Amino acid sequence: MTTARDAAIDPREFDSAGFQRNPFPLYQRLRDHHPLYHDRFHNRWVISRYDDLVAVFQDNVRFDRAVYKPDGPFAFGKRHVFGPNILEYGNGARHNWLRNIVANQFVGQKLNDFLPVIEQIARELIDTFSASAAADLAKGFAGGEVELVSQFSNQFPVRVISNMLGLPRADEDRFVGWYQALIAGLGFGGEHFARGIAARDEMWAYLDPIIDARTAHPGEDLVSRIVTAELRGQRLSRLEVKGFVALLLAAGGDTTDKAIANMWYHMLYTRPDQFTAVRQDPELWSNVFTEMMRFDPVVHTQGRHTTCEVELHGDVIPERASVTLYLGAGNRDERVFKGPDTFDLFRSDLHMGRELRSGRYGDGTAGHLGFGMGQHFCMGYAMARQEAVIACQRLQAAMPNARPKYATHEGITAPSIDSGGFRAPRELWILFDVS
Amino acid sequence: MHLRVDYDKCTKSGECYYNHPDLFKPGEDGFPAVLQPDVPAELEWEARGAAEVCPVQAIIVSSGGSTTEKA
Repeated sequence: MTTARDAAIDPREFDSAGFQRNPFPLYQRLRDHHPLYHDRFHNRWVISRYDDLVAVFQDNVRFDRAVYKPDGPFAFGKRHVFGPNILEYGNGARHNWLRNIVANQFVGQKLNDFLPVIEQIARELIDTFSASAAADLAKGFAGGEVELVSQFSNQFPVRVISNMLGLPRADEDRFVGWYQALIAGLGFGGEHFARGIAARDEMWAYLDPIIDARTAHPGEDLVSRIVTAELRGQRLSRLEVKGFVALLLAAGGDTTDKAIANMWYHMLYTRPDQFTAVRQDPELWSNVFTEMMRFDPVVHTQGRHTTCEVELHGDVIPERASVTLYLGAGNRDERVFKGPDTFDLFRSDLHMGRELRSGRYGDGTAGHLGFGMGQHFCMGYAMARQEAVIACQRLQAAMPNARPKYATHEGITAPSIDSGGFRAPRELWILFDVS
Repeated sequence: MHLRVDYDKCTKSGECYYNHPDLFKPGEDGFPAVLQPDVPAELEWEARGAAEVCPVQAIIVSSGGSTTEKA
């Protein structure tokens, strides 16, 4: 039964703590009653149904992602925590060229070649907490315990990406600190933003001599590729190089670390009954990754702006309007996924395994929208998947009889879904047996 | 340089035609069509990039006149 409350949406709900903790009821109301919602309070239009989101992803002309174009809605910005977000500017040939500088390092054969490094970094981190668990055992604890977020997932992906960048391993701790401040600066405002900018500036000062060195003697690392890439005889400016590095650190670091925490959260709290199957067959961590990306992806939103008027659901989005795409809402659309609010590793309507950028699964399954689709599909999708699955398999092997330390958990949350805040548990205490 | 797709391996990821639209375009069925099987010199870098970016190594570049294929 539709009540008056169902029909009307107060846009201030998007700013509420309740929405950050659990956006799904509001998503349902959007999909059901306002598939195109004009949010006058935040000056934007909101799209939430799966099929509409796919149509937008495939329409890069009318729904443009370019943010820093001279005639786009935002001026070229040093104000942004990352500086100029290199991959968001331009479309077409320049955008492709920018992606191609690094894209083939994150997919295909080059990624396969890099897997041993990923495994090694995972092992090193696990040995650190396993060693302390053994030491704790010696002091009389009943078993091992770990706080997964601070002791593993916050550390692991950023170390992987800084390896790919070719940054000295001895400086990894500094990078972990900087990137965490960058991410906090993105998700929060005020003093967090100021600290994010300060961390970014420190990191950029650190990168200056490295950029000089790689320009003079380029290697096979990502920084070398970025500094030496040329389009029609032109290289990227130093600011653009630094923006690119900051973007890779944030995009490659923060998202994957939250993915790992989310996967363990679901196994420990959402579906411990299905964790039994995963323990017996660690290949199922791939399904855990995929269903996590559908059920509650790390990134819930993407932004576009219209380049002309667009008619949708009986209304008209004006030209140069901001549009918010709620991927997290599309992923729960019952028109595509049966029983969408149930986390199920074995659902038959979701394509499991490596995602296709094209979205063209053609086997009766649909893909989740957690990486987007098409032109601006997440560049790191294959690497994120591999890192998360490898990490979870290594963790499982190192934590026999892994179980939650606390019976209840506040759940997955985000500082601010609309400001690019990524969703994950803030901490995750796990007990395991130590022999 | 010669460029072709192994359609038995192809999973229609779209990486080739999204990243390298000068060399590939999506067919109606989602499989990529090769636009320039004989790759002009200025696109050789792109062709090698496409071979690397394909998640299943279904793009094959080979040097003209050579019997060696690089997958």
